[in-house]
Amino acid sequence: MSSRGGKQKKGNVTSEQEEEEQPLQAVLVADSFNRRFFPISKDQPRALLPLGNVAMIDYTLEFLTSTGVQETFVFCCWMSNKIKDHLLKSKWCRPTSPNVVHIITSDLYRSLGDVLRDVDAKNLVRNDFILVYGDVVSNIDVSQALQEHRHRRKVDKNISVMTMVFKESSPGHKSRCEEDDVIVAMDSKSKRFSMGTDEFEIRHDLLDCHISICSPQVAELFTDNFDYQTRNDFVRGILVNEEILGNQIHLYVTQDGYGARVSNLQMYDSVSSDMVRRWVYPLTPEANFTDQQGQGCTHSRHNVYRGAEVSLGHGSQMEENVLIGRDTSIGANCHISNSVIGNNCTIGDNVVLDRAHMWNNVHISSNVEIHQSVVCDGAVVKEAVHLNKQCVLAYNVVIGPNLSLPDGTVVSMHHPEEEEEDDDDEFLSDDQEVGHSKDKTRQKAFNPAEVGPEGKGYIWKASMNDTEDEELAQCLWGLVLNPDPESDSESEASEESQDRTFQLEVLGTLQRGLEENIVCDNLVLEINSLKYAYNITLKEVMQILTRVVLEYPFQQQGTQLTTLQYTGSLLPLLKTWSPVFKNYIKRAQDHLDCLSAVEELFLEQDTHQTAMVKVLMKMYQLEILEEEAILKWFSTGATNDKSRQLRKNQGKQRMSLQRKESEEDESSEEGE
Amino acid sequence: MELQAVLMAAGGGSRMMDLTYNTPKPLLPVGNKPLIWYPLNLLERVGFEEVIVITTKEVQKMISTDPKVKLDVKMKLDLVCIQEDADMGTADALRHIQQKVKTDVLVVSCDLITDAALHEVVDLFRAHNATLSMLMSKAHEFTETVPGQKGKKKTGEQRDFVGVDDTGKRLLFMANEADLDEGVVIRKSIMRKHPRMHIKTGLVDAHLYCLKKSVVDFLADNKSISSIRGELVPYLVRKQFSKSTNSPKVIDETHQNLKKNDSNVNLEIQISSRDEELLHLTQERSCWNDHRGDMSDAYHGGRLRCYVHIMDEGICYRVNTLAAYIEANRLAPKLFDEPAVHPSAVVSERCLIGADSIIGASCQISDKTSIKRSTIGVSTTVREKVKVTNSIIMHGVTIEEGCNIQGSVICSNAVIGRGADIKYCLVGSAQRIEPDGEHTTMSKACSA
Repeated sequence: MSSRGGKQKKGNVTSEQEEEEQPLQAVLVADSFNRRFFPISKDQPRALLPLGNVAMIDYTLEFLTSTGVQETFVFCCWMSNKIKDHLLKSKWCRPTSPNVVHIITSDLYRSLGDVLRDVDAKNLVRNDFILVYGDVVSNIDVSQALQEHRHRRKVDKNISVMTMVFKESSPGHKSRCEEDDVIVAMDSKSKRFSMGTDEFEIRHDLLDCHISICSPQVAELFTDNFDYQTRNDFVRGILVNEEILGNQIHLYVTQDGYGARVSNLQMYDSVSSDMVRRWVYPLTPEANFTDQQGQGCTHSRHNVYRGAEVSLGHGSQMEENVLIGRDTSIGANCHISNSVIGNNCTIGDNVVLDRAHMWNNVHISSNVEIHQSVVCDGAVVKEAVHLNKQCVLAYNVVIGPNLSLPDGTVVSMHHPEEEEEDDDDEFLSDDQEVGHSKDKTRQKAFNPAEVGPEGKGYIWKASMNDTEDEELAQCLWGLVLNPDPESDSESEASEESQDRTFQLEVLGTLQRGLEENIVCDNLVLEINSLKYAYNITLKEVMQILTRVVLEYPFQQQGTQLTTLQYTGSLLPLLKTWSPVFKNYIKRAQDHLDCLSAVEELFLEQDTHQTAMVKVLMKMYQLEILEEEAILKWFSTGATNDKSRQLRKNQGKQRMSLQRKESEEDESSEEGE
Repeated sequence: MELQAVLMAAGGGSRMMDLTYNTPKPLLPVGNKPLIWYPLNLLERVGFEEVIVITTKEVQKMISTDPKVKLDVKMKLDLVCIQEDADMGTADALRHIQQKVKTDVLVVSCDLITDAALHEVVDLFRAHNATLSMLMSKAHEFTETVPGQKGKKKTGEQRDFVGVDDTGKRLLFMANEADLDEGVVIRKSIMRKHPRMHIKTGLVDAHLYCLKKSVVDFLADNKSISSIRGELVPYLVRKQFSKSTNSPKVIDETHQNLKKNDSNVNLEIQISSRDEELLHLTQERSCWNDHRGDMSDAYHGGRLRCYVHIMDEGICYRVNTLAAYIEANRLAPKLFDEPAVHPSAVVSERCLIGADSIIGASCQISDKTSIKRSTIGVSTTVREKVKVTNSIIMHGVTIEEGCNIQGSVICSNAVIGRGADIKYCLVGSAQRIEPDGEHTTMSKACSA
């Protein structure tokens, strides 16, 4: 804030000069604040996971440096020491580095919001800065975007607070992350996020690179809005308050250039194969941009890269897109394609590797087959093991021999329950302190059926916990979302589900009311609050309520009820809940709506149609429904054959109703 | 014959009742020609030889009898009358003439005045074997003051959201603001097929549609649709992306279902044309594709396609409001090159007639009058010292000496008394304005 104040004092000319002079800064967040890479990230922070045998954070730093960043603040939280050690050893911390790297660690960061609030508190940024995660791989030249951003800020007096970098890629492209399936509404001319103008564009062919150019206000805004946790919160907040605060977000779309965030293993797989296929040029495996001794490799046809001292047995084939690290030896008659193999690995004979990602010091015995899987450091795969698609062998796991792991198996040396126990301090972050010295008593024996007779490791189930959130966190390979069915129905799916959840909630409320003997008034209160929570109209509330009550016997005792049993259990319920009904059914129209709900239900449950007479009768007696309404409903035209049939059945009932009515009148008259 | 032209000329002009009280909308004079002449001329210019005109008895009678209504078109007009009080929509009308429809149709509304190149719309229809192609144009701001209205009228009409693809031709989405509860809802499956969608508002629909014959047949089966613009077009646009119309399997099934129970009303639209098989084969063998980005077939295998041609420039007006009517009158002379002053008009030499004015046949313009930016109808008499600016004077009007008329519309057979001063007024047919009266922004429409 003070920097901005200073600028204003000096006036325009100097501030422009200052802008030119000031080094470009970047904020690199080397923590994902989620557990998508568990259990791999239990042993190594995500930013240090190797991609093409280079730690991911190196790609990010290389990208920042090549785009002209001169000062980078690396924020670490989970396993910050490892990241620090890595960076101190890397070329970025050499005195010759054009990009000065400051490492800021704290165990208190829980989200991107915390980091940016800290940026503001420490007053680190003086000017526009680039915000990236430590797992972004990109070769986009953002200087053009930066220029546009600065121009906009100059013209519009700080209105534009952020420019997000997007890459064009049509839906279905494999580097599109299913979870990050953005649809953007933008003003084509001003490149602004917006919907309000006369003409705007809706784009589904953009890929969020997770690179944003931020004005210094962004950090301030995060401080002001302490509830912002993620960048999405921020973007949403800005867009919602655009008319009030006048802040705008722009986007920069690049056609060529590569940018992607490794947010799950699916993305890891895609980005890694893009890397080997040289889409991220000039960041290619043989470039050795990290400038480390012995990392160099040679590039030959069909994108085959070999490090130093690689030995290849007789008859082994490296088909295409293969990267092999230094000191790795491969046995005879192997078939390797689309794979990355780390340093110091040994691979036996007759091994088939396809889309395998093997990190360092991995031992593969003979006759092993691996498809689209990740094998982490120090893992051992014994003879004749078959890894199907999307398997993960975490650090130091031993598998086999003679075993076939089904699709999506995750094996780790950490016991899943150990993690669950740690879950008590419930935030989702990589940065939980896991005891490195394991409690031996708690450790359970390895299951030979799961990991093989000589195996070491525990199977992690894909969805161990029931809650959806946890499931998301567990799913290493990312979601495979089914495309929404191109159904004809014009009703909105989300709305329908909302109705559905509302219905379930109402059912729960009534159930509880019955069990705990809650007064009807309170039930009404609860239903009303649900109504607001789900934004349901009064008419729907009533219809859903009617439905829930009428279905209640089925719900409790199964659908095989006879009509007699059904009415037997329903009628007392109606009596109990009649005040609830009366609260919602007041106007004449309400009566009709209620009746139509009743009708709808009994049309579905056509075996119980005869029960409808009794239900209507009871509702009439309880004064839930008025006679006129029932008669009116009866006389209004039936919309289809079935309902006509239904009405016919009700004919008798109508008679009895009328008779009853007249009797009642008489008796009351007599009473008077 | 590739296309049959259908002209919808039965509308009542409900949004400008003041004008249509005595003259039916198709016959309102615009630039001294009946409104219906413009679409007819448009069709004639592109070479239609025959046109089906759907209209009311009243209009038909007036066309055949009234000498003032000279259509002067060489096309053969097939006048089909519908009952005026039946309250038929445009789709109803189309259903009414289903027997006459032998090929694909071009439907034009009678209130369209445009210099659009019609072939653009038809070419889209041909090139993509489209089910529907239509014409739209950027909406115009009406600058002229509208008689009888004080101040600026708010644009009360709700906006239309029109979604087109990257080429700006394929019509992907259409919704009216009135139908939207909470913002625009677009199906993700559409976005997946067409990742870039331009949503435009501020477009005016010219009500010019090319429709496949099968659509007319579909209308005949499906009686619930009554308006082309209101119901049929949105339905077709939506149907483009529904599964049932796209996968041939389902269509076969519905065919079978149809055979099974003919009584059941067929609610699904069947899109097929005569050479369907061959077309399919060509599409299969061709490497042409309408999109890029994914590997699926051209049109993603869809069989129902809607296209729109959006005019960037040029004249495109729908004369359905008073403001549009005035604007059209101002621009109409540009659309045809006829002498501004009709040869049979008697115009005094000592009067001033602006170049942007039109004087109709057998008019009498006396000395010392000045006429600027105005249209004077047939057999109108303008006496001495009259000043007419920015006005529309219809047929048979008499304007007495010394009148001053500004920004007004004077309907047929009105008589303006001596020395009247009329500003921004609408004077209904056969009205009499008292001499020396002074009137501003009022509307003396119907003879009450």
